[in-house]
Amino acid sequence: MASFARPSLLRQSLAISRSPLRQNVGVSQAVAFHASARKQILPPLPQRIDGNMNDPVPVPSPKPTEGSYHWTFERAVCVGLIPLSVAPFAAGSLNPVMDAVLCTLLVAHSHIGFEAAIVDYFRPQRVPKFYSFCQWLLRAFTLTTAVGLYEFETNDVGVTEALRRIWNA
Amino acid sequence: MASLRSTSRLFAAASRPLFRPAAFARSYATVEATQTVEPSPSENPNMKTFKVYRWNPDTPTEKPTMQSYQLDLNKTGPMMLDALIRIKNELDPTLTFRRSCREGICGSCAMNIDGVNTLACLCRIPTQANSESRIYPLPHTYVVKDLVPDLTLFYKQYKSIKPYLQRDTPTEDGLEYRQSPEDRKKLDGLYECILCACCSTSCPSYWWNSEEYLGPAILLQSYRWLADSRDERTAERKAALDNSMSVYRCHTILNCTRTCPKGLNPGRAIAETKKMLAA
Amino acid sequence: MFSQKVAQQSLRRLAVQQPNLMQSMVMRASPAAIALGNVQKRSVTSSTEKEDPTQILARQRLNRPIAPHLSIYKPQIGWIGSSLHRITGVALSGTLYLGAAAYLVAPTLGWHLESASMVAGMAALPIAAKVLLKSTLALPFTYHCMNGIRHLTWDLGRGLTNPAIIKSGWTVVGLSVTSAIALAFL
Repeated sequence: MASFARPSLLRQSLAISRSPLRQNVGVSQAVAFHASARKQILPPLPQRIDGNMNDPVPVPSPKPTEGSYHWTFERAVCVGLIPLSVAPFAAGSLNPVMDAVLCTLLVAHSHIGFEAAIVDYFRPQRVPKFYSFCQWLLRAFTLTTAVGLYEFETNDVGVTEALRRIWNA
Repeated sequence: MASLRSTSRLFAAASRPLFRPAAFARSYATVEATQTVEPSPSENPNMKTFKVYRWNPDTPTEKPTMQSYQLDLNKTGPMMLDALIRIKNELDPTLTFRRSCREGICGSCAMNIDGVNTLACLCRIPTQANSESRIYPLPHTYVVKDLVPDLTLFYKQYKSIKPYLQRDTPTEDGLEYRQSPEDRKKLDGLYECILCACCSTSCPSYWWNSEEYLGPAILLQSYRWLADSRDERTAERKAALDNSMSVYRCHTILNCTRTCPKGLNPGRAIAETKKMLAA
Repeated sequence: MFSQKVAQQSLRRLAVQQPNLMQSMVMRASPAAIALGNVQKRSVTSSTEKEDPTQILARQRLNRPIAPHLSIYKPQIGWIGSSLHRITGVALSGTLYLGAAAYLVAPTLGWHLESASMVAGMAALPIAAKVLLKSTLALPFTYHCMNGIRHLTWDLGRGLTNPAIIKSGWTVVGLSVTSAIALAFL
């Protein structure tokens, strides 16, 4: 669609030219939100209401693995990350086990975080295809990252040690 | 003027099938704004500009606009709702908004005033006359007309949490269901919610996921029944929330707590719900 | 007008008391009586035979605009801080993901991402660039960590009052900026 031919723009120019003719006019001005039609933020679908207005929305079937267990696991990972991200630098260790645990938790934390962002912005009900594309891309990337970190841990000096060396270089 | 109007309408009608995909009319944006000034200001007027979001369902191809109105604050009551009522009475009878009790108990006049969701009847007009006030409908709601949002989904979601006492066993003496003062105290700060939807529509998570995420207002109401010592379906209520969307789209942004015009704390209610579900 | 009402009322009363009589009356009602409004009759103002009336609202809904949201909501420390939390989180995790993936493909593409060459590359930078690079890396990290701790206290149900939220929000901003600067000059 040719964007310059949008009726809104034409009407806008029409409106500006005709508005001084209106009654009760002091000043006329053109105001626009910075998010105009050209730049919508996560545009929603047209409004549809399923069922009549006295029906409750359907209640989803319980799935603790995506709900409460998932939440608790996420918090546990976060809590675990706090000491693990401070200790190696404070103690100056080259402990590969600690490094491995840190990497695992970081990957888990990142995966959960990305997943939350995907569901928030591209939920399956709005853009089902893009959602599943994002999910598969994320899974592929998480796997690649895990393998890459494993390679780095086994063939190189390890994440914390490498970071420390770069930081002190 | 009449001729010009009809031309533009003709133009819009002609262009509709060509240029307007279904999604186009739902854009936010806005264009022209005209300014309407109070006809007879007082001796020493204290004029203030109100910019109000306008959209008319009778001309759906027209985009939403911001219309300016100037009022003399010396002749206006202290609250935003007074200003809106004066605009409707004296400047522009086509302005549409909901209002009822004018004392913050019905929740009808919930809207976004100067960027914050609140009840127009509880919101004082900022007295600096040189500043202008911007009034929008509740954010990210479908607009029925002007400042009137469609809250059908919100009420349907409220119904889905079964907002009533569920109990099978009668009391031993057959009298009313009693609870200790401590248990009753748990409901303070919950039962006062008037379902004005200010908190839900201030929540970015609810903006993006309103169809599946219940939103702070409904979750506060849900916690009100979870916390009630007389209710016997706590396990079922918890199971109904235990999925990825209903509660866990809450990322503790806490716009809800910040904006609640009744001073309640939906953010805390959701945190407590999560704790209950995790336990 | 008044007489019409009275007539209607009496007819209604009659209908309740003697439904049979009423029915025969309606059957025998003359066209004139109907025209005068003596017989209550609900006329349909517009023809709805062609379209389903429940669809009118459904069609109207499709036209409705969305009220403006992100662009008009007042910037407050709460939600701005929260969006920064997500942005920094995505940036940090994105760096980790891209870095690890790049390390994996580096040998085939001839890149040098071993720690030794990266340390050498870092050492070759002028001091100002070092500080700049370090602070741009450290600030998202410190902010995300501090705000993460704030989130964890909220998950325990602590600090969930309006003044506390605002205060902790600005505290996190201050602490993360100072600690990022400290890390940059380390």
